[in-house]
Amino acid sequence: MAKVIMTADDSTSIRQMVSFTLNQAGYDVIEAEDGLDAADKLAGIHVDMLLTDLNMPNKNGLELIEWVRSMPRFKFMPIIMLTTEAETEMKQKGKAAGATGWIVKPFKPEQLLALVKRILR
Amino acid sequence: MNESNRFIEEFCHEAEELLSGVEDAVLDIEENPGDQEAVNRLFRAMHTIKGSGSMFGFDAIAEFSHHVETAMDKVRNGTVPVTKTLIDLILVSRDRITAMLAEANGDGPPADPREGEKIIASLKALLSSHGAAAPDENPPKETPEQASEPAKPVQQNQAVYRIRFSPDPDIFFTGMDPVILLYDLADMGECSVVAQTEKVPDLENLSPESCYLFWDIILTTAKRINAVKDVFVFVEDKCKIDIKTVEEEVITSEQMPGPRLGDILVERGDIDRKTLDKQFGTRKKIGERLVESGALSKEKIKSALNEQTVVSKMHKSAAASTVRVPSDRLDKLINLVGELVINQARLTQVASNREDTDLGESVEEIERLTGELRDSVLNIRMMPIGTTFNKFRRLVRDLSSQLNKEIELVTHGAETELDKTVLERLDDPLIHLIRNSLDHGVEPPGLRELKGKPAKGTIILSARHKGTNVVITIQDDGAGLNVDTIRQKAVEKGLIPENAELSDKKIFAQIFAPGFSTAKEVTSISGRGVGMDVVKRTIESLRGRIDIDSVPGEGTKITLILPLTLAIINGLLVSIDDDFFVLPLMSVEECVEIKSKEIEMINGRNILNVRGDMVPYIRLRDRFHMGNRRPEKEHIVITDVNDSRIGFVVDHVIGGHQTVIKPLGPAFKNIKDISGATILGDGTVALILDTNVLLESA
Amino acid sequence: MSVQGIIRTSQYLTFKLDNEIYAMDITTVREVLDIIPITKVPQMPDFMCGVINLRGGVVPVVDLRLKFGLKKATSLKETCIVIIEVILDDEQTILGILVDSVLEVISLDPEQIDPPPRIGTRLKTEFIRGMGKKDTEFIIILETTKVFSAQELAIVQAADDMPVPETSEGANAEEEKNE
Repeated sequence: MAKVIMTADDSTSIRQMVSFTLNQAGYDVIEAEDGLDAADKLAGIHVDMLLTDLNMPNKNGLELIEWVRSMPRFKFMPIIMLTTEAETEMKQKGKAAGATGWIVKPFKPEQLLALVKRILR
Repeated sequence: MNESNRFIEEFCHEAEELLSGVEDAVLDIEENPGDQEAVNRLFRAMHTIKGSGSMFGFDAIAEFSHHVETAMDKVRNGTVPVTKTLIDLILVSRDRITAMLAEANGDGPPADPREGEKIIASLKALLSSHGAAAPDENPPKETPEQASEPAKPVQQNQAVYRIRFSPDPDIFFTGMDPVILLYDLADMGECSVVAQTEKVPDLENLSPESCYLFWDIILTTAKRINAVKDVFVFVEDKCKIDIKTVEEEVITSEQMPGPRLGDILVERGDIDRKTLDKQFGTRKKIGERLVESGALSKEKIKSALNEQTVVSKMHKSAAASTVRVPSDRLDKLINLVGELVINQARLTQVASNREDTDLGESVEEIERLTGELRDSVLNIRMMPIGTTFNKFRRLVRDLSSQLNKEIELVTHGAETELDKTVLERLDDPLIHLIRNSLDHGVEPPGLRELKGKPAKGTIILSARHKGTNVVITIQDDGAGLNVDTIRQKAVEKGLIPENAELSDKKIFAQIFAPGFSTAKEVTSISGRGVGMDVVKRTIESLRGRIDIDSVPGEGTKITLILPLTLAIINGLLVSIDDDFFVLPLMSVEECVEIKSKEIEMINGRNILNVRGDMVPYIRLRDRFHMGNRRPEKEHIVITDVNDSRIGFVVDHVIGGHQTVIKPLGPAFKNIKDISGATILGDGTVALILDTNVLLESA
Repeated sequence: MSVQGIIRTSQYLTFKLDNEIYAMDITTVREVLDIIPITKVPQMPDFMCGVINLRGGVVPVVDLRLKFGLKKATSLKETCIVIIEVILDDEQTILGILVDSVLEVISLDPEQIDPPPRIGTRLKTEFIRGMGKKDTEFIIILETTKVFSAQELAIVQAADDMPVPETSEGANAEEEKNE
């Protein structure tokens, strides 16, 4: 069965690129446009991995990670942050909140795919 | 290519929306300078434009918005107040980005770069006047480890690293499975891993959600130490990771003895010199004595022994001297060892029925020695694949000039060893596959440039070990396979029904069908009658499998998975009545228990519903006419052969079995479903099933 | 009357099958085993009754009764496996032969051996090297190279899955099929 990955990002173009890349590789992708939307959608479905932006309206990435980690059924789920190089501090906070790792924007689709495949192997 | 166009369009559209949002936010702030929410909106808009811009190649826009974002960040945390100057600057910036976007889209005049520089300078001046540091001229570019390109084809020296990886007990709560990292290391080269269990507490104190294990890894790889460190980048702050270079391959002039076990242990800090010295003087091996005296755990010693083996091997390969032996003598030796393994298994079984500790201990020792003997004897036949790879360099050079193509052959893992017999029989299939890539895969330079690819095509030939298998891949960056063409051809040839709903992979698999060839014209290079079906048959006769993967426009990748040796395979032992059969474990996916009645009920056709997947099955009892005394519960072994799942119904699944293959001989030359036999520990003969053949008849 | 080709005194291993005595040239015989478990190999004619483990080697076993169109033995009390060496497909091959009981090793002079009768046996004539005579009993001396040829053994079970009995009729049918 195809693994399900959620991408939470307020940028439509990035979300689409992530979706398209992962779909091509056979993953099922669920898009969320901000942290709140992600939390809403996560409530009802099974997800194998979360890719989240850090700066988002309504509930930012850090809050989303903390919330997800507090849910028993997601306590071991891999969470990858999409960060920009300037956000070293945010990266640390994200790790402290329970993120598994990160990928630095800009990234190429194949880099994203390599990371996802590696973590979900 | 159209896809990325779509994203670019989407980005422009998104950016325009964000920019009009900027205008609103600015007006809100002007009205109410304390409107934190509007400031946040502004920051996020700039942040998104920067992030997405860089993703889709708008580097100038990304760079410019980075400065505005930094300014907004300072406003957000209160370092810089909202002033008329600031608001003007933001509005100018906004217009500037709009102009840059229009330019990038080709529907605007080129934006004057000097204007941009002026705005940035003003922003910086504003920030520094408020004591906030100006944004970095060039934000330090982090190199994410994912960005590391596949290793360059440069022949690098191998190095041996000793790694101790002690994960944080809470590592699972970060969503990271430490085993992933071990796999990553294993992908880098030859890797031996020993799990250290000394920190595992008693059962009553054990939390199932904590990680108590730590690992000692000896990795031999051509990669640099930074690449090894990069594997751990996600966990380095919480976990203890110790990476040391043990040995770099230098060609030593004289044969040098490998390091001594004791020295390795002291160097690792597992033991001090004094304790070690105490142990000398008796006759037993130092490792055994240390374990017996309780000074060190078995695992610690094992890990150090691994290191010793790897390093000694390097020394040896540096000063390799060889003896030529006729191969029939080797065959004889391997046969004898095979028999020894069988008899030893029998001995172990007999010994386990008697409760005699003395006997048990010596049998255990014999078991260990036999295993070692088997491994080293099989090792004698192992040859690095590099010599085979080298033959192809010339082939690629000659053929590409003949075809007026520019193609570079890149090889990885030339040192990967496999059985000489396997290696010899791989020549033809590999030549065929490489020819195919050259001829049909990689496009002529002109066409490649049109498609935005480098004129020079690349074929990557790589080999690596994976468990007891060797994985060989042939990957090109050519045109890829055309699903529609293959499908049409397969329908024409009657290989698949016209309306068949097949995955791309299944359609690709059609090229292995006999007589299939999609080349529009037969050239001298490929298509001389030896088809992909021959390649597939050869691989299968080596008990291997072949997989195909292709992305249109990006290339094709063929993967061959082969057993290390032909003499011994990993099998799954099953039984029907009192007869035993072995299925090659390589193709086994899972085993499902099923009540006979259940099968009957679904039966109409022999198809079983496995968690929503329809899997056809063969009841071996029926196929082999073994009567009808079916047990209450039967088992289905689900295998994946050439990307088709198929189940085999048997009575019982007994378990994994190191199978020493015995040929059945000419008396059974016409038999199809059985590829050989093996002898079990109690002397019973079990038959090895040929899943490839069984699948075809399903 | 003697048989062409048999010019000197040879030793033969005699054994019983149903109520008749057969013999094989001793030089083809490697050893005689008591009956041991035989692993059935699917998709083979019934007379190929399976394989045994002979000191780590896998050896096919032919049930000579079934090969000769007789009924399967009812009692296995004295059943033996005669291990012989034959050439199959230019390859020296070890083969086990299931017989009712092994009798003795005898010497026969060429003049004690008559040519095979043209009629009156259930076997193909080419399977018989000659008819020996000891005391009052006839001994059927088998031509092992013919009985155990690749052609005779490597027959995959027919699709309808019925065992092909090797009666003289069946043998003829088989021959016709081969042409």
